[in-house]
Amino acid sequence: MEGPDEIIHQSTRLRIAATLNALPNGELLEFGKLKSILGATDGNMATHLAALEKAGYIAVEKDFVGKKPRTRVSLTRVGRKAFERHVAYLRDLLEG
Amino acid sequence: MNVTREEAAKALADVDRASDRIGQLKGYHHGAPYFIIWGFVWLAANLASYFLTDAAKFAWPVSLGFGFTASLILGILQSRKWPKGASTSERRFGSRMGMTAGIVMAFIVCIILIARPQSSQEVNAMISIVFPFLYMAGGIWAGWRLFAIGLVTAVAILVGYFWFAEHFELWMGLFGGGSLIAGGIWLRTA
Repeated sequence: MEGPDEIIHQSTRLRIAATLNALPNGELLEFGKLKSILGATDGNMATHLAALEKAGYIAVEKDFVGKKPRTRVSLTRVGRKAFERHVAYLRDLLEG
Repeated sequence: MNVTREEAAKALADVDRASDRIGQLKGYHHGAPYFIIWGFVWLAANLASYFLTDAAKFAWPVSLGFGFTASLILGILQSRKWPKGASTSERRFGSRMGMTAGIVMAFIVCIILIARPQSSQEVNAMISIVFPFLYMAGGIWAGWRLFAIGLVTAVAILVGYFWFAEHFELWMGLFGGGSLIAGGIWLRTA
């Protein structure tokens, strides 16, 4: 049995990954929407998204809609695999 | 790093909750434009029947035709929008919505043939009242916003039918159609 993924296991990061994993490959979710789904603060979200991005688990895209800045995130293939592996580890731990 | 069984159970519960929440939002966002389309169908058909009595017999077929065509196109567009990685159930959402609408319409036709309502008002009420109850039933599974839209629309229809019979079509257009349009916009903001 593989060990836990220390980056994803943190509660907020796990919920971020679970939310993005439920979207089709490559689909982006707006920062504000993600924040509202998770009930997290701006600062908290930014910290955890930065950690996931640094690990290559999520991709962050920034652009403008009109004059308004927009930040969107998606789970990368690496992130999706890491999430699936971690969930499998948790299930094994519970069942074993 | 050590993870206990309790922590694993809590983490998996968090994963389930997050997945359920995003699933619910996706459902709201997919369903919203259908509510808006059918809200306008109900609004247009009822108001045309009320104000343009000569055109009343054309109002419903034209509006329903528009509703079905728009829903079909929307369903196809939504199905195509899903990328390659999407699951089969996600890609088939649009076509399943279309088939579900067809089954519901067939059910309504059967009910009307059996119950034989005596006036256009009774037909209107009988068709209209089916949908909000479906929304309420669906809302129990899919999310409280859908339930709320169903409840408000059902109350609007019943109030109009029993207390505003003389202006039923006007009532239905404004409050029946209006509640669907407002509900669709509300789902978009979820």
